[in-house]
Amino acid sequence: MPIYFPTLTSIDIAETRRYAGLAKKPDFQTTMLEAICFEAQLLATPRASWSIYPYDSCRGLILSQPKLELTGKSIKKHLTAAVDIAVLSVTVGEKIEQTVTDYFGQGRYTEALLLDAAATTAVEMAADQINSIIVQEAQKNGLTAISRFSPGYDDWNITVQPTILQLSQGETIGITTTSSCMLIPRKSITAVIGLLPTDVKPNPPEHNNHNCQSCSQDDCSFRKESIND
Amino acid sequence: MIKIFDGAMGTMLQQAGLAAGACPELWNLEKPEAVTAIHRQYIEHGANIIETNTFGANRIKLAHYGLADKVQLLNTAAVNAARQAAGSAVKIAGSVGPTGKFIAPLGELAFEDAYQVYKEQISALTSAGVDMILIETIIDIQEMRAALLAAKAVTDMTVICQLSFGSDGRTVTGTDPVTAAILLDAMGADVIGANCSLGPAQLLPIAQALASATTRPISIQANAGMPQLINGETVFPMGPDEMAAWVPKLIQAGVSYLGGCCGTTPAHIKAISLAAAKSGMPHQQICLHNKTTAVTSRSKTVFMGANLPTVIIGERINPTGRKQLSADIKAGNFASVKKEALQQIRAGAHILDVNMGVPGINQAAAMAQAVNDLSMLVDAPLAIDTSDTEALEAGLRIYPGRALINSVSAEPDRLEQFLPLAKKYGAAILCLPLSDKGVPATASERVTVARHIIHKALEAGLRPQDFVLDALVLTVAADEHAAAETLKTLRLYRKYFGYPTTMGLSNISYGLPQRELVNASFAAMALSAGLDAPILNPYNPMMKDTLATSAVLLGYDRSGRSYSKDFAARQAVANNKPEAQQSNDILSTIRQAVIDGEKESIVPLVRQAISQNYSTIEITDKALTAAMNIIGEDFGAGRCFLPQVLLSAETMRAAFTTIKETLPSAQTAQLGTVVLATVKGDIHDLGKNIVAALLENNGFKVIDLGKDVAAETIVDAVKQHQADVVGLCALMTTTMPQIDQTIKLIKDSGITCRTMVGGAVLTAEYAQQAGADAYASDGVTAVKQAKKLIAR
Repeated sequence: MPIYFPTLTSIDIAETRRYAGLAKKPDFQTTMLEAICFEAQLLATPRASWSIYPYDSCRGLILSQPKLELTGKSIKKHLTAAVDIAVLSVTVGEKIEQTVTDYFGQGRYTEALLLDAAATTAVEMAADQINSIIVQEAQKNGLTAISRFSPGYDDWNITVQPTILQLSQGETIGITTTSSCMLIPRKSITAVIGLLPTDVKPNPPEHNNHNCQSCSQDDCSFRKESIND
Repeated sequence: MIKIFDGAMGTMLQQAGLAAGACPELWNLEKPEAVTAIHRQYIEHGANIIETNTFGANRIKLAHYGLADKVQLLNTAAVNAARQAAGSAVKIAGSVGPTGKFIAPLGELAFEDAYQVYKEQISALTSAGVDMILIETIIDIQEMRAALLAAKAVTDMTVICQLSFGSDGRTVTGTDPVTAAILLDAMGADVIGANCSLGPAQLLPIAQALASATTRPISIQANAGMPQLINGETVFPMGPDEMAAWVPKLIQAGVSYLGGCCGTTPAHIKAISLAAAKSGMPHQQICLHNKTTAVTSRSKTVFMGANLPTVIIGERINPTGRKQLSADIKAGNFASVKKEALQQIRAGAHILDVNMGVPGINQAAAMAQAVNDLSMLVDAPLAIDTSDTEALEAGLRIYPGRALINSVSAEPDRLEQFLPLAKKYGAAILCLPLSDKGVPATASERVTVARHIIHKALEAGLRPQDFVLDALVLTVAADEHAAAETLKTLRLYRKYFGYPTTMGLSNISYGLPQRELVNASFAAMALSAGLDAPILNPYNPMMKDTLATSAVLLGYDRSGRSYSKDFAARQAVANNKPEAQQSNDILSTIRQAVIDGEKESIVPLVRQAISQNYSTIEITDKALTAAMNIIGEDFGAGRCFLPQVLLSAETMRAAFTTIKETLPSAQTAQLGTVVLATVKGDIHDLGKNIVAALLENNGFKVIDLGKDVAAETIVDAVKQHQADVVGLCALMTTTMPQIDQTIKLIKDSGITCRTMVGGAVLTAEYAQQAGADAYASDGVTAVKQAKKLIAR
């Protein structure tokens, strides 16, 4: 079970703009946005942990201790060809979201919103780093990694969150879940990455890359933003 | 002659009967004859260096098999098994592999623990009689540093350092081959190379990059192609002949040690050795960077030297004369140090000077923490600025790169203490021409002192590419020759040494007015006289301009392209500035200011309106509320976006505050009271906070109960505040049912207030089913709905 502290030498401004709902407004307060990304970089304390388990795709069973049977058509379909599964947890810590709350309290609404978006960017960037490590390590064993898939994507119920957290030893990096299966700190991610043998062709692309077009959650706010892009 | 290593050991052991999941190193004790037989096969097929079966024979890896206390035994047995096959003609390389853990600061394993683990294994290998140490398959430069330092601590024999690179050309933790080669060469690695992960095709450019950055021999041990998992087995597709076809190209690139990693067999080694024999002598390496001094971080190299663009060393991480920074460092709070680092990078610094010289603190601990924190935050290399030997070593030891030591002067103590540390950790040194006789006044005296430092450094084992010469800057207000002597020193340095030059600029202007102007002018002169890497305050705009124009004038910025681009960008910003509203109607001006989110300009505008005797009701209705209505419409129509709405709300807030401050008795109309909460079990409050902000600045009194609020608490608050509307928010499917329960409890309590719900997963249909009076998909809609509900 590796533990890793990802480095964030910058926070992607374009992504932050997108998460803030400004994809179509590229000239909005660039200086403020830059300052907020800079601040997010100082406030974020990225941490990650992951484990790799064999996977029985016929039964949708992650062969961990205890075993986890996946429920949800989308996740099982996504992992159809996988022989191993990497289960990961990533967080950027609580300090950043505390600052968002403080800013709201001080009437600094715009900065609060932008900092929240920057925190989302930060945790995604940290997850991308772990993703890349997992991909490279998998390659050494002749495995190909497909895109990561998180509880709450499509019809994969977030009630699986505590178990996924346990399988990735997310508690060791300070992540917990609430009784309603939310992650604390909020700017945290859990996900699985399917690892496929080389001689197996991945599913059609729409199932490998979770994206808004293929997702069944019509009401997701980020969906509108992405589809309108 | 090309040296030929052996091929894979693990797969050969498995073919000989090693069970999957068993400890390969245990066979050194249990079946040494099988291990010897594999070595023998490789020797018979052309290997002249064999690698011991000790890849995982470190304490951490062996602990997986309960063999942590068998390090000495297993390594000794491995060397014996190899020696049986090697005889005297073939050399034995003691194989040292990764611990499998990430090293701090990227991982949990402390650097010192990793160092001790390697020291234990390498001591065992050397005392058992290996001929050289091969540190291989390392994915993190910090782990390589720990192993190399450990090797250097226990033996003088040849140490080969091989990293594993990914298909993106970097190690897993982000180090490129040039950076790795520069750092490892400086630390005293005897052979530098790459193995595993990739096939020869992918390793060829890596070999070329390594060879461009070091004059040490290069070793490459590729896999037999890129691995594939077929029918449950990892297969390496490249046959011996195909692999051998890459040998001439690798030798051409500068490789003089060749072997094989995963998937290679004695047949591969035979083909490689035959191809190498045909290729003849190793190709003369072309080292592109040997006339410059380079420093590195984990992932980036910065080159300094004549004919290279000016390198800026940011001087701001220095507590001298800065009370707040000093107090923060003393209190162990490094937030301001980190902030200073990021700001300097944004301002254009290429290297960051780090000084922790706060009186009365443990400087070594502070330096270690600062270097550790900064190595996680910036990719600019660091200069460790201290006169404290312990602080210097603390910083150098923990830094996953090649730092610059600021500084080494000619005092005997300094030379004696600092030079061995520079050598041990592969640091570059800033040579400061001060001696125990004091500050040399003339350029020729400075050259003499610098020459002495360089002489001592070379004696201590440093190399020409380890030096940066300081020209020494004295105050021109105290001595009119100060600037001239410094400029002359720069010219003489260039003439006599050719090493890159540096100096702290700002001392020149001490005691003069408009210091920034003096500093910038001096910078231009110094750059012309041969200054390569000034130490300066990168925030000084005049200095920035001077550096940019100097880059054009000195020919580093070809055709002034970068200068012109920057100028055009600045013009564009200047042209985009909205012009001041010329409208005579103050209310329209205020309205436009709110729409544009001009927080700063709203306060004087509101004061102006009050002084023109507009009533607060007029200002609110005709300017502020009118503006928010327009914003709301624009938002609904997709013409503006949420952050803009919030910026307008902030502007409204500033306007209201000004009204209250200027006319404390003025009445502002209140539309009603809204109780807001994120329901029980739900901890998301961003959306709810946005709704609260917008309602408040649209004339509502808002009672915000926060997040994770029980239905009972909400009902109590509604009663207490006689709320007109309750706004409930839920973000997740798991907490959505709380919406139903809360609405039910409100109704059951007999309260007449209206309910409005929203949140990512909620829909209008769900809201209706739950019995809510309104559904709001966003903050702007929430304001509209609240107004409607109150009007009912």
